[in-house]
Amino acid sequence: MKKWQVAVVMLLAALGSWFAVGTQAQAKTYTIATDTTFAPFEFQAKGGKYKGIDIDILKAISKKENFNYKLKAISFGAAVQQLSANQVDGVIAGMNVTDERKKTFDFSNAYYTSGVVMAVAKDSNVKKFSQLRGKTVALKTGTAGSAYAKSIQNKYGFKIKYFNDSNNMYNDVKVGNSVACFEDYPVMSYGIKNGIALKIVSKQYDAGDYGFAVKKGKNAELLKKFNAGLKAIKADGTYDKIINKYLKSDQASLTGETAKSRTFVGLFTQNIGTIGTGLWMTLELTVISIILATILGLALGVLGVMPGKVGPAISSTIIYIFRGMPLMVLAFFIYIGFPDLIGHGFKIPAFIAGMITLMLNEGAYTGAFVKGGFAAVDEGQMEAARSLGLPYWTAMRKVIMPQGIRIMIPSFINQFIITLKDTSILSVIGIVELTQTGTLIIARNFEGFKIWLMIAIIYLIIITLLTWLSNWVQRRIN
Amino acid sequence: MAKVIVKDLHKSYGDNEVLKGLNLEVQENEVVCMIGPSGSGKSTFLRCLNDLEVPTQGQVIVNGHDLSDKATNINLVRENIGMVFQHFNLFPHLSVLQNVTLAPVELKKETQAQAEKTALELLETVGLSDKANAMPKSLSGGQKQRVAIARALAMHPQIMLFDEPTSALDPEMVGDVLDVMKKLAAQGMTMIVVTHEMGFAKEVADRVVFMADGLIQENGKPEDVFEHPKSPRLQDFLQKVINV
Ligand SMILES: Nc1ncnc2c1ncn2[C@@H]1O[C@H](COP(=O)(O)OP(=O)(O)O)[C@@H](O)[C@H]1O
Ligand SMILES: [Mg+2]
Repeated sequence: MKKWQVAVVMLLAALGSWFAVGTQAQAKTYTIATDTTFAPFEFQAKGGKYKGIDIDILKAISKKENFNYKLKAISFGAAVQQLSANQVDGVIAGMNVTDERKKTFDFSNAYYTSGVVMAVAKDSNVKKFSQLRGKTVALKTGTAGSAYAKSIQNKYGFKIKYFNDSNNMYNDVKVGNSVACFEDYPVMSYGIKNGIALKIVSKQYDAGDYGFAVKKGKNAELLKKFNAGLKAIKADGTYDKIINKYLKSDQASLTGETAKSRTFVGLFTQNIGTIGTGLWMTLELTVISIILATILGLALGVLGVMPGKVGPAISSTIIYIFRGMPLMVLAFFIYIGFPDLIGHGFKIPAFIAGMITLMLNEGAYTGAFVKGGFAAVDEGQMEAARSLGLPYWTAMRKVIMPQGIRIMIPSFINQFIITLKDTSILSVIGIVELTQTGTLIIARNFEGFKIWLMIAIIYLIIITLLTWLSNWVQRRIN
Repeated sequence: MAKVIVKDLHKSYGDNEVLKGLNLEVQENEVVCMIGPSGSGKSTFLRCLNDLEVPTQGQVIVNGHDLSDKATNINLVRENIGMVFQHFNLFPHLSVLQNVTLAPVELKKETQAQAEKTALELLETVGLSDKANAMPKSLSGGQKQRVAIARALAMHPQIMLFDEPTSALDPEMVGDVLDVMKKLAAQGMTMIVVTHEMGFAKEVADRVVFMADGLIQENGKPEDVFEHPKSPRLQDFLQKVINV
């Protein structure tokens, strides 16, 4: 075997074993999903560890009841979907107990009761729901605040704009794109205490219970343990301690951020570890995906210019499907839809799902320009090669491909850059890459502008390096 | 047995019938020149002889191999029938030497060293031994065409097809290419040459074939075809060519 063949085999073997580990049932360790940014119930503290009321309650209960768990922080929507797809054992994410949800999930006893409030920008004069007419209201998908706002939308005639995490919702109100948001009281008051420039202008509506959820009919034992543990920590005072710790203190003592660290450089040095981890994940995903997408793209391109009808038809169909599907839909399909279809507790680790998603999507784009590149090689080249007696594949390999690939180099560079940027979309399935890292950091320090600037600069630096590298390779080849 | 036998050859592109039933035999060591107006199907005919085009009807037998027979290995047939194109079709990413050695080495006819030795001899024959390491884009048209001839000869074919080998060349380059072809003819190569070079046809051809409207209109010795054209179609064609 040649060197590159060995490398491919090793890569595939590594993926395979990863898969195997990922799909193995782990005895007695529950996987419990939580939201990424829902302070004070859950948020990432400095150094990447998750903190919050939910996290602490879960930890205290697990100690009392003696069970192991692995915490998986993903977006609220993904957590709920994964629970219904049986990909995680439970969800604790400031989740309201509703009749609708009871159809799919079994809930623990309430561990917190909270109502929805309306919040507006600090300098806003909006006080009443009637002032919302014709305006836009920001909501976070799947929350009690969102359900409540939806129920009064017709009466007060406002428009709705949905967000996937609280921070972006707050910011939209702060900068004035939306006039108000609806949020759970503890969440909102914690945020305001920690520097969000909003104010609460309504009383609490629709008070509802927060419960720990498992999939209906599954994990009854876990639910029983949770209830027993909750009773125990309420009885011994641990519960009150946790609530007070989060609702009666300021953020600094929780997250370790200090005023000094609020400068650009300060924020950078404080968060360099977290950012570095995210950056590494982004690079890892990008490099592996680029390699796989290039292999797939070359195969699709070769198939696409084959004589006869079958090859080109297969190639066009694959390109059509995966180029046409939005990356996010494809990611959800592979991560959540596909295991759901297979059943039997089959799971795909997020990283693998993300990699397959990028491989298929970027591979389809690559296939399209590879096909075009091969087709752009003068027909006379193939004829001259064949007239010498060279078989089709030899002619392809020795004459058409070397010329075609030269034509494609700029497209390849372009595609590499797109792949790098597209990794950020994979945060929706819980991959903590560079962009998601930004979201997480902002969730605890609310420094939206500085952190996004930092993240943007990092992307630009990598893209510049990637472009230089590609140009160097291009010069070498020509 | 004749090197090339063509029986009732038809070729259509959709509704457009380009070849309408051609018959031709070419003997060993024979040089046949094909003349005829543009669009009359000369290239299509040549391309049917090495299966670059598949006939719609009729039979092509090359070196005793029937091309329409499924059992015929077309790659083996092609090794014995070289082709030179109007636009050279050199491989631009390979050097002159690599252009010439690619097929013999890939097809394991010769080792790399043997192939290079043969290639250098062939380049010598076509007068380009000093260009072995040049890239095609640095060559003139005439030089490119001579490399293309060397490339085809590297497979040691028994038959050579030329499709207007000098039509894309500047006038001062034409002579060098024709000289190489004359040398080949003198060595006894079986050749079918589509050309507008009437002087070359008169001097070198054993036979001249005139094609028009998808049919062979006249087929005879050069002096007969050029001095005593029978059909008005050929008389008309020669009139135009000579007046140019
Ligand atoms: N691949 C093709 N598809 C359709 N028509 C073709 C193709 N190749 C040649 N033809 C047509 O066949 C006719 C003969 O072409 P050709 O053999 O190139 O003529 P000549 O070489 O005598 O000038 C022309 O009318 C040309 O348009
Ligand atoms: Mg022609």
